[in-house]
Amino acid sequence: MNGVTAALSLLGVAVIAVLGVYGASWAVRLSSTPVDAAPFGSGLEPVEHAVSRFHVRWYTVTMLFLAFDMEMVFMYPWTRVISVMGTSAVIEMFVFLAILLAGVVYAWREGALRWT
Amino acid sequence: MSLRAAAARPRVLLTVLPGGTAARLAAERQLRLRDWPLAASPAQADLLLVAGPDCPGLRAPLERLWQDLPTPAARVSAPGADAVQAALDSGRAQLGSREGQLDRIRASAGAHRHGGRPAKGEEGPGGVHDGHGPHGHGGMEMPGGLSMAGVGEDRDGLTLDQLHLPLGPFLADWPSGLTVHLVLQGDVIQQANLADPIAPGGEGAAPFWAQPWIQADAGEPVTAGEAARRRSAAHLDSLSRLLSVAGWPAQTVVARRLRDDLLAGAPGPAMAPRLERFTRRVGRSRTLAWATRGIGELSTQGGKQAGVSGPAARAGGDVTDRYRQWLADIRRDLGRLDQPARLQAAEAEESPRGRWRAQHPPSAALVTVLPALLTGAELAAARLIVASLDPDMDELLPTRREVRAPHD
Amino acid sequence: MTESGAWWTLLAAPAMLFCLAALAVAANSVLDARDAGRSAGPAAAMRPFLALPRALLTQPRRLPAPDVLLWRAGIAIVPVAAVLSTLVIPFGNVAVADLSVGVLWFNAMEVLTWAGLWLAGWGPNAAFSLVGGYRFLALGLAYELPLMFALISAATGAQSLRVGDIAAAQQGLWYAVWMPVAFVVYLAGVLAFGFLGPFAYPTGRDLAGGVLSDASGVEWLLLQAGRWLWLAAGAAMAVPLFLGGGAGPLLPAWAWSLIKTLAVLAVLVVAVRRLPLVRADRYVELAWVVLIPLTIAQTLVPALVDLAR
Repeated sequence: MNGVTAALSLLGVAVIAVLGVYGASWAVRLSSTPVDAAPFGSGLEPVEHAVSRFHVRWYTVTMLFLAFDMEMVFMYPWTRVISVMGTSAVIEMFVFLAILLAGVVYAWREGALRWT
Repeated sequence: MSLRAAAARPRVLLTVLPGGTAARLAAERQLRLRDWPLAASPAQADLLLVAGPDCPGLRAPLERLWQDLPTPAARVSAPGADAVQAALDSGRAQLGSREGQLDRIRASAGAHRHGGRPAKGEEGPGGVHDGHGPHGHGGMEMPGGLSMAGVGEDRDGLTLDQLHLPLGPFLADWPSGLTVHLVLQGDVIQQANLADPIAPGGEGAAPFWAQPWIQADAGEPVTAGEAARRRSAAHLDSLSRLLSVAGWPAQTVVARRLRDDLLAGAPGPAMAPRLERFTRRVGRSRTLAWATRGIGELSTQGGKQAGVSGPAARAGGDVTDRYRQWLADIRRDLGRLDQPARLQAAEAEESPRGRWRAQHPPSAALVTVLPALLTGAELAAARLIVASLDPDMDELLPTRREVRAPHD
Repeated sequence: MTESGAWWTLLAAPAMLFCLAALAVAANSVLDARDAGRSAGPAAAMRPFLALPRALLTQPRRLPAPDVLLWRAGIAIVPVAAVLSTLVIPFGNVAVADLSVGVLWFNAMEVLTWAGLWLAGWGPNAAFSLVGGYRFLALGLAYELPLMFALISAATGAQSLRVGDIAAAQQGLWYAVWMPVAFVVYLAGVLAFGFLGPFAYPTGRDLAGGVLSDASGVEWLLLQAGRWLWLAAGAAMAVPLFLGGGAGPLLPAWAWSLIKTLAVLAVLVVAVRRLPLVRADRYVELAWVVLIPLTIAQTLVPALVDLAR
């Protein structure tokens, strides 16, 4: 089977399975009228909408993560050509990684990996 | 048919009313033996089990939770420990009855047509002390009748969205009767305000965990073994909550099982090796210690000043130190579980949460240190801090007038 | 040599994944029963599946102003991505499609759970749920890179991103033996993208269930199924990546695949129970300061071996 066909077919199977579960529930459940519920607040009523601008205190870690994530884009194809390119490929990749790691050490020393 | 199958293993939302400790313990034991899982929120639950004597001040929150349970659902109550079995059986019968469930749906549909949602303002247990409640956004009608999050300055002076979230009165693995109103930015607590304890309905029984000491005070004969047993069981109960909040379900169950066996009077020599094994495994877990290090520091000095006298004061440190103190206390009591000697004046032996004085129960001091420890903590850390102090709110009930939790 | 399967593998792969996940749930339940002092028989193994009729019968809930579309999408993504990951996992010598970028495909599917869980947390418009969703993102920042380096170590050893090639390249010596760091980090990654055991932070009981706190009925079922399906998928993928795939004496390839997968699954279930939860704020520091340098060093080993060949 062609890769794309197989992937799309498998997606179809999975989606049909999920829809099947919803369908089965729709068919057998006691009532399709939803119960009016409140988001769980230990028994008390909510006072405002929970969706809000969440104070993400680990945003510096996300920056570091992005740097490494881009590096991964190079590293995946790199794995295939190590023997072809020879020693230079390995040296270049690991010098690059070493530079990134130096950044991590700096960020760590500055306390960017702690937020509590 | 399938309704019966679904009712064979209901998920139970266990809500505990003030004075309901004995009923809760009986319920937890029964649920463990029946393999009915404990749900953490109404969405996941089929059965709402109310443990403890009826409490008018908490009827509104209970009603809220009951409305949040999707059908099939049942609600039963067990005012005392001896009513638990019957309540659970009745709950299963209700869950298995198609007619009963359809009735509930019809009733709720009817209520919905007449505006079934409880009006806002029926907020249940004691409001927030100071005026940091919800902001009354006038003007625009927001969906669901709720306002959007307001903004406020955080600890670094940034202006950020704030959410108001109550912890308690009905939260899994939370001291029953405690309610803390939080102001959150992200998951950091900017403010923690304690609500007034709720008055129980009727005359409350003596707090379960401090019973031997109260009896000894009253001149009744209590053996030292009985007291040691109760104290170890109380620590195991606190540990089970802490382990559950910290996220170690397997050891939570072990702690609960040991607690139940101790309270059921299993002979000391049989219990000792099992307790030994449990305390060793939990005490030596580096991962658990690592996850709880540096959270909720309470020095011996600071604790003493606030009037804390029990294991929390002796531990004098963070969450890790406090649970290790409990473990050490359990180990210390291993040989005394069957001691026949009479419990000397209550002064001589500590009650589970500290030296027992009827006018100043040890839990009152634990509650007073909470707001300062919670402010600035993450939500996860806050739950660990509360679990590691584990105040028994029942101790505060008889002397409610003296205990005024301060707020900042 | 791994070959791409016929059309029926499209049904067989998800079915087998489902059976493995069910087996893990049953084993976990038996161990639960033993710890709780109940009889740990076959009945105990079947009890968790009573949640199935219960979830289907449950009446829907209407919360104030939920983001229904994103919520449903997020919840569905978790099990669907787990099923999609089986596309490249060979069983014996047959995979549904042995893509030339198989490792990348698995990695991409696993990253989809980031979106899935965050949306599942955002959707219901509930505070506990929202905090739970964000917890998974923080956890992701910690577990993802070590996991990627672990995957790349295996790919570097074979100089190929094709899962079949990686399994075939382990003639005689499994990667788990000479890349132990990558293997252990990979297993930790499996627990993390299955948000189970030590990495159950987004569904923590301290948040009344976090992303699960306001999910009921089918939503609850799909999320729970998703995490165990991921555990099974992770166990199955460990076999070609680190344990030599279907290679082994006497028995046919499919039997070896099955035995090895079950062994890894058993290890994972035990780990789920034995280890307490690790919060993201603690794990981030460990991951960046210890695990990432370690896994990079681990990647250097197969790279040098490649040069020496």
